[in-house]
Amino acid sequence: MSRPALASERTPAGLKLGLALVLAVGTALAPTAWWWWHSAVAALLLASVFIYRIRIRPLLAKLLWFSPFVAGAALASALQGPASPGWRAVAQRGGLCLLIMLVLGATTSFSAQLAVLRRMRVPALLVTTLALMYRYLQVLSDEAQRMHRARACRTFVPSRGRTWMVSGEIVGRLFIRASERAERIYLAMAARGWR
Amino acid sequence: MHLPDGFLDAKTAVVTAAVAAVGLGAALRQLRRELPPRRVPLLGLGAAFVFAAQMVNFPVASGTSGHLVGGALVAALLGLPAAVVVVSTVVIAQCFLFADGGVTALGANIFNMAMVAPVTGLLVYRAVQRIIPGLRGQIAALAFAGWCSAVVAAVVCAGQLAWSGTVAWSVAFPAMAAIHMLIGLGEGAISALVFYAVARTRPDIVGSTPAGGLRGIVGYGLLAALGVALFVAPFACAWPDGLEAVAAKLGFARQGASSTAAWLADYKLPGIASGGLATAVAGAAGALIAFVLALLLSRLLVRAPVEVGAKTEADS
Amino acid sequence: MRPLLEITNLDYDYPDGTRALREVSFAVAPGECVGLLGPNGSGKSTLLLHLNGILPEKAVSPGAVRINGEIISARNLEAVRRQVGLLFQDPDDQLFGSTVEEDVAFGPSQLGLASDAVTERVRRALARVGLANHARRPPHHLSQGEKRRACLAGVLACEPALLALDEPTSGLDPRGRREFKTLLQELAGTKLIATHDLELVVELCPRSIVLDGGRIVADGPTTELLNNEALMLAHGLERPHILRHLHPHRSVADEPQPDAGEKLPGLS
Repeated sequence: MSRPALASERTPAGLKLGLALVLAVGTALAPTAWWWWHSAVAALLLASVFIYRIRIRPLLAKLLWFSPFVAGAALASALQGPASPGWRAVAQRGGLCLLIMLVLGATTSFSAQLAVLRRMRVPALLVTTLALMYRYLQVLSDEAQRMHRARACRTFVPSRGRTWMVSGEIVGRLFIRASERAERIYLAMAARGWR
Repeated sequence: MHLPDGFLDAKTAVVTAAVAAVGLGAALRQLRRELPPRRVPLLGLGAAFVFAAQMVNFPVASGTSGHLVGGALVAALLGLPAAVVVVSTVVIAQCFLFADGGVTALGANIFNMAMVAPVTGLLVYRAVQRIIPGLRGQIAALAFAGWCSAVVAAVVCAGQLAWSGTVAWSVAFPAMAAIHMLIGLGEGAISALVFYAVARTRPDIVGSTPAGGLRGIVGYGLLAALGVALFVAPFACAWPDGLEAVAAKLGFARQGASSTAAWLADYKLPGIASGGLATAVAGAAGALIAFVLALLLSRLLVRAPVEVGAKTEADS
Repeated sequence: MRPLLEITNLDYDYPDGTRALREVSFAVAPGECVGLLGPNGSGKSTLLLHLNGILPEKAVSPGAVRINGEIISARNLEAVRRQVGLLFQDPDDQLFGSTVEEDVAFGPSQLGLASDAVTERVRRALARVGLANHARRPPHHLSQGEKRRACLAGVLACEPALLALDEPTSGLDPRGRREFKTLLQELAGTKLIATHDLELVVELCPRSIVLDGGRIVADGPTTELLNNEALMLAHGLERPHILRHLHPHRSVADEPQPDAGEKLPGLS
């Protein structure tokens, strides 16, 4: 399945990750008065959405998810009166930073980001843990879903207490399976010369 | 409890990042020295487990549902340094993979969820477990530890918000504490149910948790305490008049009670003059209720202590 | 000729005391392809784990396993693991890298090769199993058959002298199974295949060993063993249909056409 490299894959991952971090930190900490900074970041984001052809819908969905926080901030600043920085500033910063991270995620695969971390000498144990987590995320959530379905097939009279017990059992079994799989992965790593 | 970007100011972001880096670095170093190679993949799988576990829903009421957060449970199952690394990994991945939680808030989120929560959880777990023996004790201890970890982490989070000047302490503290005293009940119950399920099928896993000794916990405990001192202590002394100040500012004081302010005021027990004392009493009452519920849950789950708990009892 | 693998009186108990292997002895000559048969829990996987010193845990083996004449011990563990490639049963356990390429590179980089050499080995191994175009893909986007081939590439990249395969065709659909079987057929070298897929054994392995309850109960020409209905039934196996249509003293490996199994459709 060879396909032509996407525009987003031609830009080095390290550059994208670094740029995103600088932009996010800058945006989160820049004073509200620096309107030019916020507009520049917004323009850059918009440009990258077009250049890299990022799908808009997931971005919007995620922004919607962000709204409870903004509502909370709005409520809190309403309670505090004019002394607080105001919910608008919080929403503006938070929304922009969220978009930066979403664009980063859409253009840079997690394994590419991990490769950058490895090059930057982040402790190997942490990078290994991140990599293994990413690798087995799907495997374990599939297992969780299968167990959930198997239980649902045999649940005839749902009650809340019963559901809690069953869900607890599913999560418990999930942990046992995860630790057994960790054991087998260790064997597979050892078989290929890992110490 | 994932703080997004824009909620913390520069000073709070830098301080939390520094504290989180120190804690995570210490945990990684300890693991590199002490963790047998055989258990290294378990860190990554443990983190994937926390993610997958969060997808399993626990229905609360009319369509809403809760899920596991996991700090206390992971600490009880894997030991403290491993829990710090596992939950930090989860928080980092949530930030970069799903944009849950901000980059500038990453330090605060790691500190609250991957350090304060597991440390609190494990300290409470060990303490209660010492009082009540057997599997029943473990269940009750973990249920209570889950509650405590959620509440303490939420209070620290409120402190960070207040320190940043985003939300006043007098608003953030009661709101975060009250909400997480409820959420904590769910967290405690879920942690206990999961632990019970693991203990029933694989008592060896539950029994073989690396204890790490009290000395190991003390270091992390000090770090968590430092955080609490940094973020919470500055407000703790000033807060008795905080609410009144807000009420006065908003003009509620003259009118008496209005919806939100009334709810917040009700959080303090009536009839007790000092605000600080009232808060303390409310907190203690909440903790007592949570503890009694934890005990009830353990009685409900483990009917006869001898039946399943025999082996575990011998171990502990 | 000196055997590549020689096992003498191998005993092993699991940490919980369950008996796993008893007095297992056999030898495999270079270039041989041997089937390892037996019901579930007969000790096949445990035996394979002994071949590159993963078991026993404490590496104080009584010297029962020799690779190329050398007894496996803590000192030569690395050299041994270089010579024995193990393919695990669940490809998800073995493919732990974030991309196919990275995973295949794991073994060679553990050998301490220079990065060009590693890249070259990865390229060759992926081309060998027909996954050259999948190098950058994350493992969870692969089909079951592709995962299995990626695992094989990871093993081949270490250039082992002996390939030990645990259930290589389990969980594959007919096409995946056929592709993987062809791949194994084309691979030169010594192979030990633990499997329930009796037709695979008939087609690939002239010789088989039957394991039950941790002991070797039979060792001989595959067709002879599998035609022995009493032996097969006694050890939880069955005589494969494919053999009913073959001369009892010829193995399928000698047949001129490679795909005997597929040319006999719909038989019962």
